[in-house]
Amino acid sequence: MTDELRVVGRDHPIADAALKVSGALVYATDMRLPRMLYAKLLLSPIAHGRVAHIDATEALALPGVVAVFSHENAPQRLYSRYRLLPDQDCPEDEPLFAETVRFAGDRVAAVVAEGLDIAAAAVRLLRVQYEELPAVLTAEEALREGAIPIHPGGNLLSEFEHAAGERPEARGNEVTVTVATSLPRAHHAALEPHSCIADCDASGKLTMWSPTQSVFGARTVVADLLGLSYSQVRVIKVPMGGSFGGKQEFTLEPVTAFMAMTLRRPVRLALEREECISSTMVRGASTSTVRVTADPAGVLKDLEVDTLFDAGAYGTSSIDYVDMMTKKLTRLYRVPQYRHHCRVVYTTTPVAGGCRAWGAVDITAPMEIAMDRLAGRLGMDPVELRLKNLVEPFDRELLTGAELGDARIRECLVRGAEAFRWDERVQQDPGRGRYRRGVGVACGAHKNGMLSDTFPDFSTMTLKMNEDGSVALGASLHEVGCGAVTAMRLIVAEELGIEPEMVSVTEADSDLTPYDFGCYGSRVTYVCGAAARQTAVALKERLLEVAAVLMGRPVAELCFRGGRIEAASAPGEGLAPAEAVMAAKTVLHEDVSVQSTHQATSNPGAYSAQFAEVVVDTWTGLTRVTDFLAVGDVGRAINRAMVVGQYQGAVQMGIGFALCEEVGLDTAGRVVPGGFKQYHVVNTPDMPDVKVILVEHDGDDGPYGAKSVGEISVVPTVPAVVNAVNRALGTSLSDLPLTPAKVVAALR
Amino acid sequence: MKMSLTVNGTRHEVDVRPTARLIDVLRDELGLTGTKEGCGEGECGACTVLVDGKAVASCLMLALQACGKEVTTVEGLAHGGELSLLQRQFIAHGAVQCGFCTPGMLMSAQALLMENPTPSADEIRTALAGNLCRCTGYSAIIAAIRAASGREADRADGSA
Ligand code: FES
Ligand code: FES
Repeated sequence: MTDELRVVGRDHPIADAALKVSGALVYATDMRLPRMLYAKLLLSPIAHGRVAHIDATEALALPGVVAVFSHENAPQRLYSRYRLLPDQDCPEDEPLFAETVRFAGDRVAAVVAEGLDIAAAAVRLLRVQYEELPAVLTAEEALREGAIPIHPGGNLLSEFEHAAGERPEARGNEVTVTVATSLPRAHHAALEPHSCIADCDASGKLTMWSPTQSVFGARTVVADLLGLSYSQVRVIKVPMGGSFGGKQEFTLEPVTAFMAMTLRRPVRLALEREECISSTMVRGASTSTVRVTADPAGVLKDLEVDTLFDAGAYGTSSIDYVDMMTKKLTRLYRVPQYRHHCRVVYTTTPVAGGCRAWGAVDITAPMEIAMDRLAGRLGMDPVELRLKNLVEPFDRELLTGAELGDARIRECLVRGAEAFRWDERVQQDPGRGRYRRGVGVACGAHKNGMLSDTFPDFSTMTLKMNEDGSVALGASLHEVGCGAVTAMRLIVAEELGIEPEMVSVTEADSDLTPYDFGCYGSRVTYVCGAAARQTAVALKERLLEVAAVLMGRPVAELCFRGGRIEAASAPGEGLAPAEAVMAAKTVLHEDVSVQSTHQATSNPGAYSAQFAEVVVDTWTGLTRVTDFLAVGDVGRAINRAMVVGQYQGAVQMGIGFALCEEVGLDTAGRVVPGGFKQYHVVNTPDMPDVKVILVEHDGDDGPYGAKSVGEISVVPTVPAVVNAVNRALGTSLSDLPLTPAKVVAALR
Repeated sequence: MKMSLTVNGTRHEVDVRPTARLIDVLRDELGLTGTKEGCGEGECGACTVLVDGKAVASCLMLALQACGKEVTTVEGLAHGGELSLLQRQFIAHGAVQCGFCTPGMLMSAQALLMENPTPSADEIRTALAGNLCRCTGYSAIIAAIRAASGREADRADGSA
């Protein structure tokens, strides 16, 4: 199919690359509105306690300070920062400003001033007295008898079990391994810190500029909280310097909106790096114990997982996040019985929320580490063990019965093993000296959109043709930085037979662009991309209708040929689309534009197999990833360069999650200060040149067969690296990240 | 305090607080918002600018320290509306995703190429050690810099 495609499937720079390399793209913190005020938050320095008294006298006396807000003068209504749909079931447990602080980083107060330096100085002048309560720093502690309840309903936010299938009769020769794997709190580390601007005009209309993943969700949360109608709140998506889930939930929007509405002036709230780490969202800490049973030939018979998930101080998305964890493993492996028992627990620690791949990383790491352990017990090659159990194309998965589509994980693994020379490299001796070398493999599964038995997925777009034949796609896109806008442009250009430069694409504006859920759930390429293509098809039909009237011929006789609309019976006669648009305006008094809604009817699996080589320094415990191959079942690359780039970036994140990234807390529950000094993100010298192989094929419903990339790309990285370290050292490490200290301790 | 500095070839007289950082003067006083702040602590490189030809974290430097010096920001790379070769190679190699690290990456790369016009891949990696990127995995950035250095670049996209 690729040969027939003109623009789809080739390498294209991201649409706004020229703006980005010249420093001209305006991100939220680059904006300045007339009379704009600057807000600075006072974050709780303690993990748990009551705010007994706030003395703002000195702060308010500072010239330039406009207001101080706290629980004393803000609405007390509790809300969920995660809510997208008004009737969604989300725990409402968070106030704008805390009277009871529930983690070090909780919002206690905010100062709004004429300048940022004034606001920062005034925050230091706020005198707050706290009555401390016992901190609860781990999920285990939170569940202990007599633990202090963090919220009125107690510390167990949710407990549930998903189970399906039946375990075949035991023959007595099965092999079972049980492995507990812990993942720490992680920071998304988008390079752009969180920021948001809100303004409220004299009519009471609130406008917000936010690098958000969902303008409609932000609108829902803000309007419901402040008692406004949805038409009184307009949210405009502005350029975003990365998110990875960290900006999915509405962390800053509610408080910024409240301050702007109260003051009737534009207010900007922008966080510093340390504040991003401690006070926005983290990937929650979790421990999952995998108990997997196979027959002597390595065929899985039973899979049980128990997960204890630390939601932190507020519920936000944690229940859904853990629910999503459940649904990943049966997309990957055939197994007769699967059971996942989950507990989601409040603690007085930073708030957990959405993070790239939404639980797939968190459960695939335990599973794939356990699979290597199982391979070891069976004396079987890890690739061979996986090939005995991976799903086949067009399987239905066990848990929900969903069709997996043309699932090509086996092809990913086989092609990857060959390109990586797995058979040869897995045999190599790790060495006996200071440096030990090892290779590791892991597989992962994810999804394409939010469609499930309980949730819909669809996207609406408009497309109009201009008088010169160029087109404008009206869509609620939320570019996170990896090229969603560019992908839509390519799809529309491909379908209409025009150059990508002839297609303009909007991002989301809750007042102006059609409804769309937002950028998450690996839905943009698969669902929005299909909507873009469908809308382009609808525009072609509309052009034919218009041309039929203008040419006085039946529509059925007309077709597109060589970029013109012609009658089959009269070649040479006809109209260019631009001429049809002009004539529609002047002769028919009509516009050539369409609106179309694409409803997703499938949610196939997205897959990746990844291979890592590491060298571990046994003296220092430092691990270096020296070679890495990622193979992705992407269906079809819409923009090849960006697909490869997303894979390479995902591997950088996954290597960090495996080896060094952890939001550390001190004994009082405070995030260890230091920003990126403490939170180590993998930098250039420590990154291998990641090789990427794309498995492409027809067979799924996405545009040109395309499937999701941005989340699946990170799913198998952590266990591939961990399995490589364990092979190099002969260890069975599974407490992440594998810091030098842990490696050295394991070797003692 | 009054001070003068030259930014992208233009001399500016500015009135600064003694504690103002160079990044604040560039962004807030001069409106050169291309320089980004990712951490404010010298750890991410997003704020990198050239001061007298050397790459400097503008979040760590006091504005007064740049008094009388020549500062180049990302806005100063293009000439007469034409993007520089380095900028064009960043675009061509897909080295730009969210773009927040890009200005700093470009300035670190520019400083490197001014000092060492034909760096090896390892030299590039070392020169970019202080510039974090969360989107690209760095490969495309390194390929873009190699291409701008006039060397034959390895396959930019890492396709095997
Ligand atoms: S903002 Fe200066 S190094 Fe990060
Ligand atoms: S392109 Fe997003 S941080 Fe580098």
